[in-house]
Amino acid sequence: MRKKRVTVTNMVLACFVFTIILPVVVLLLWTVTERWAWPDLFPQVFSMRALAGIFQKGGTLTRIFLSSIMISSVVAVLSVVIGTLTARALVLYEFRGKGLIHFLTVLPFMVPATAFAMGIQIAFIKMGLNNTVMGVVVSHLICSLPYAVRLMMDGTAAVGDRLEEQARVLGASAVQAFVRVTLPVLVPVLLSAFSMSYIVSFSQYFLTLLIGGGQVRTFTVVMVPYLLSGERNIACAYSVIFLGVTLAVFGIFEKIADRWSRNMDTEFYA
Amino acid sequence: MKKRIVACFMTIVMIFGLAACGNNGQKEEDTKGGKKESDMTFDELKEAAKGSTVTFYGWGGDELLNEWLDDVFAPAMKEEYDITMERVPMDIDQVLSQLSGELQAGEKDGSIDMIWINGENFQSAKENNMLYGPFVEKLPNFEEYIDTESEDVTLDFAYPIEGYEAPYGKAQMVMIADTAVTPDLPKNTDELKEFAENNKGKVTYPALPDFTGSVFVRNVIYDICGYEQFLDMEADKETVKEAIEPALEYLRQLNPYLWNEGKTFPDSSTTMDNMFADGELVLNMTYDAFGTSIKIEDGTYTETTQSFQFDKGTIGNTNFMAIAANSGNKAGAMVAINEMMSPKIQADRYDTMKVLPVVDYDKLSDEQKEAFDKVDLGKGNIPQDELLSKRLPEMPAKLVPIIEEIWLEEVVGK
Repeated sequence: MRKKRVTVTNMVLACFVFTIILPVVVLLLWTVTERWAWPDLFPQVFSMRALAGIFQKGGTLTRIFLSSIMISSVVAVLSVVIGTLTARALVLYEFRGKGLIHFLTVLPFMVPATAFAMGIQIAFIKMGLNNTVMGVVVSHLICSLPYAVRLMMDGTAAVGDRLEEQARVLGASAVQAFVRVTLPVLVPVLLSAFSMSYIVSFSQYFLTLLIGGGQVRTFTVVMVPYLLSGERNIACAYSVIFLGVTLAVFGIFEKIADRWSRNMDTEFYA
Repeated sequence: MKKRIVACFMTIVMIFGLAACGNNGQKEEDTKGGKKESDMTFDELKEAAKGSTVTFYGWGGDELLNEWLDDVFAPAMKEEYDITMERVPMDIDQVLSQLSGELQAGEKDGSIDMIWINGENFQSAKENNMLYGPFVEKLPNFEEYIDTESEDVTLDFAYPIEGYEAPYGKAQMVMIADTAVTPDLPKNTDELKEFAENNKGKVTYPALPDFTGSVFVRNVIYDICGYEQFLDMEADKETVKEAIEPALEYLRQLNPYLWNEGKTFPDSSTTMDNMFADGELVLNMTYDAFGTSIKIEDGTYTETTQSFQFDKGTIGNTNFMAIAANSGNKAGAMVAINEMMSPKIQADRYDTMKVLPVVDYDKLSDEQKEAFDKVDLGKGNIPQDELLSKRLPEMPAKLVPIIEEIWLEEVVGK
């Protein structure tokens, strides 16, 4: 019986490997492929055109990358902070208008992105926020907050405030109880909320373009034209970099979160 | 107590937030002083533009063009005029929606200077007062090297330009096939139908309103119904439908032999480029008349790939550069546009990207002519004089969306 289960698990794993690894391999192959016509199994013409082009622009691209990572990290941190606080308010407290606030937190899900972008552009121009990094951060924040709030609400509901009450009974102050008891337990959820907000911000194209007016350059803004233009080798090269950098950023943050929660010596949902 | 702390904290955060907005919101004042650009001579414009930055908004999907703008044009502008060029890759609908947003909000010092534009987009932008002008008469290179009377320069899809945009490059629709796969290339619509019958499921065109799909359908219309009647046709759906009915019938008859039996069409010309390169299709089409040799050189297309056109000709148009009505640097934009029309730059574009030049060959000096003559067009292209001798004018811009609508109703899946 157990043996059978192992086989099933292995098969499922194999499927995963197949569906995830294979596309990545094709992606890598395409970065050096110029022509790969049916019915050949392997590309007929290879070229370094895409990679050479990217290396030539290395300096600019690195700069764009760093600023993209900065923007998205700021957005992610802000939305996690706001999300945690909002989730706490909505889950643990009773107040008037709670239903309305709850509804408002998911509202950005419901408005079509294009309609939303056009409206916010005019509002931002009037506030002088257009073409600024600040404006881009705020607009990304609006998109990523619903995810962060939803995720944090689930986490907060699962953890509850019993542990915190216990800590209070044992003499901790309100801030101590939150920072030393609840927060470490929430780390895995914080991490998901962070990653989600980060990726929402990092892959934002239309909004960045409109609010940033093309002056605030993120990696996605540079990459999407190639995806649309059908230049597959260049698009694939950009995609590989995109993938690598995103994974690296997630890895770093996971390490930080891991170390932090281990120092606190707690277990999730204890 | 807790609530009060939270409230205090929130207030502080908000104040900080607003203060930050305020700082960023203060745009620099217009430093160019009293004189308006329209009253300046070109030398004064050059002087005013010194040290400034010009943004150039346009489609960013052509890597060769991007590199040329960044590595050839931008350094040349910096050296000659001390102007920094900033290329902003953006689709034209997004450029126009950003521009209309800025204009609606009353932004005076707009972020968009130069725009790469033509056709319906130009007409709607001009009619909605989104463009600055007229400005082309102020540019010495326009007067000196461009045939200012030719319809390629005075009309954009039959819509009068009136000095609101300057020519950037010429395009002409050509079809592409691999002669190793299909040795006989169709010379008219009848032969095209035969071609499709012999290569069932391997011929198609991009779904309208894609630029290339749209021009292909117009070309079919021209081939079957003639082109003269459309040049002054009223933009009325019934009139147009009646005039193009034979062409619609032809397209419907073509459907069963097309890719996916004409029930669906590739979403864009770029998708079709890839399908052709992959061997999924045997026919491709493009506005980029001399692009084939570049693709052969890169290895995307086979050595035996050849571009061709119908005997009656194919549609050509010009693409242009315009200036946004609220541009913060009109002087700089005018200097840059002027430079783009110089024989030196046009010859360089012809050499690197094989873009059909906009300068008038007869107006050039012998030395300048030589720069154009020595360009090797490479493999797979139609010789320039043959291409241009079979160049048909575009339809009025207003007819284009009507035809696209009719195609959707009368041809797809029928």
